Amino acid sequence: MSTHALPSREYVLDALHEVIDPELGYNIVDIGLIYGLEVADNLIKVTLTMTTPGCPAQDYIMEGVKQRGLRIPGVQDVDIHLVWEPPWSPQKMTPIAKAHFHIEDDTP
Amino acid sequence: MTAIENAVPAVSDRLSRWTLLIFACALVNFLLGQALIVAGVTWPEVAFTAGSTLAAVHLITLGWLTLLMFGALFQFVPVITTKPLLNQWLSLAVLILVEFGLTGMTVGFLALNRGASGLARCLPFGGTLVLAGVLLAMGNIVTPLLCSRPLALPGRFVLAGLAFLLATVLLGFTFALALSVPAFTPLAAPLLASGVGYHVLAGLGGWFTLTAMGVSYKLLPMFMLAPEERGWWGECVLQFGISGFGLSVIAGLLSVWRPQAVLLNAVQHLGWLAIAVAVMAYLIDVLRLYRTRKRARIELHNRAACGAFLSLAAALVIAVVLVASHRLAAYAPALVLLVLFGWLSGLGLTQLYKIVPFLTWITRYGHQLGRDAVPRVQDLVDEARTSPWFVIYFLGVALAALGAFINVAYVCRTGAAVSAGATLGLGFEYWRAWRGHYAGRTRPATPIPPPYLSRGGPAP
Ligand code: HEM
Repeated sequence: MSTHALPSREYVLDALHEVIDPELGYNIVDIGLIYGLEVADNLIKVTLTMTTPGCPAQDYIMEGVKQRGLRIPGVQDVDIHLVWEPPWSPQKMTPIAKAHFHIEDDTP
Repeated sequence: MTAIENAVPAVSDRLSRWTLLIFACALVNFLLGQALIVAGVTWPEVAFTAGSTLAAVHLITLGWLTLLMFGALFQFVPVITTKPLLNQWLSLAVLILVEFGLTGMTVGFLALNRGASGLARCLPFGGTLVLAGVLLAMGNIVTPLLCSRPLALPGRFVLAGLAFLLATVLLGFTFALALSVPAFTPLAAPLLASGVGYHVLAGLGGWFTLTAMGVSYKLLPMFMLAPEERGWWGECVLQFGISGFGLSVIAGLLSVWRPQAVLLNAVQHLGWLAIAVAVMAYLIDVLRLYRTRKRARIELHNRAACGAFLSLAAALVIAVVLVASHRLAAYAPALVLLVLFGWLSGLGLTQLYKIVPFLTWITRYGHQLGRDAVPRVQDLVDEARTSPWFVIYFLGVALAALGAFINVAYVCRTGAAVSAGATLGLGFEYWRAWRGHYAGRTRPATPIPPPYLSRGGPAP
């Protein structure tokens, strides 16, 4: 099973675009929930946050990331770290998501 | 591949399992209460204190609004505290106790209409079941609240609201004993004669309004992407709200036995002033929340909620005018109608339009995330189809309130019929969301992903 080459970080990020925050209705990568991503030794390490602490969809989003990660050829495990610092804000969205939600860009 | 298929429990701890069932029962109670009004067997056709009016009032206050609040709090308190409920099964027990208790109370109230027959004993019996349900619900909700330190502003509103709920139910229970058990009548007669207003104030004000304020302080920023921190302003709303409702209810109740006491009268007026300040400060804060939101295009539930906030503002202005002109007693029923239907039920119906699809998504689609294409929460509803129902609902409420204030019964009933029709229409839309009626139409079409799935900006 581990005959596949390791996927690139870009490839993994692309795949994670298929996981959505159900409430905002947008993929978690462009919303800015992924704080960090490492790919090494058939293992993906994802550091992520949620838009609000205790969100009822939290478990499902984390499991969604895990499941999507495991579907990438060559990946054997997905390690997820949920963090609350720094807290998420709409400014963490990518320009395309900001445009979608009509959010003004505060970044200087 | 590591076997982690079942890493998430079949139903997450964060999901309140019985909330959707509680909502469904609550909505049926609301429709039953509205049906009694439309049928013309309640105020304004008959006395406000008639048994049939009381039956309708409690179907709406206990059966609809209290259950709605419980259902929402069972879901929402673990969200704000990140602590679980005491026990999920308690939520089901609460539903059963309140439903059976309410049935007993309704039979008892209707029996009062026909003179205190033996059936009127159902009133305190039903009240006992309701009291038991309320105590269980409080235990379920207060446990996570007390485990969470420091408790955020919304949670403190909820704690205060629950204290008023207990006061309301205990007072109601005393009335029920006085009305149906002759041995109690002399003891509680003064309270029944002039204390009912404080039962109403503690229920509609302390319990519903404070809790609704707290819940909205969490939900509005969350869904509109507005700043959640309310600072000293939010603290003022809470402190003025608690002291306002607290002082006016306590001083009012004491004045039942000492009606001439000048001090009690002054304290009561001070309480009313504090309530007015709290409501005004809250409405200004809500306006600021809408103005400072990051999400430019807000969803229907937040747009429609403006009808509820307008109703609260109207109720505030009318109440101030009535108190200042010493005419509150004459128009109190009309004011109760505006608060119950416009502010509280209006807010409830609009927020359900978000909560039902959200819980539906979690229950039905959450597990497919990452494995398959899933609909978004907004794909479960059809806003264009639903928004007319909200407009009709609030127009109906406005008409009913107008009829109530000018004392023209048929105008009031027509308005009530219009809003009841709209409630039914909204009920169908919640049902469709739950059944996934709209979900199929908007499923993301692969292989071309919709914009919300496609790659957008630079890598993090
Ligand atoms: C959240 C809980 C409750 C709320 C918001 C509430 C609200 C109200 C309101 C608005 C009225 C005035 C209606 C009218 O005069 O037509 C009323 C009266 C009354 N309530 Fe409640 N109620 C609650 C719980 C209870 C309970 C648990 C009982 C106990 C069985 C009860 C017993 C009564 C009685 C007996 C009256 C009529 C007193 C009279 O003869 O005027 N209530 N309540």
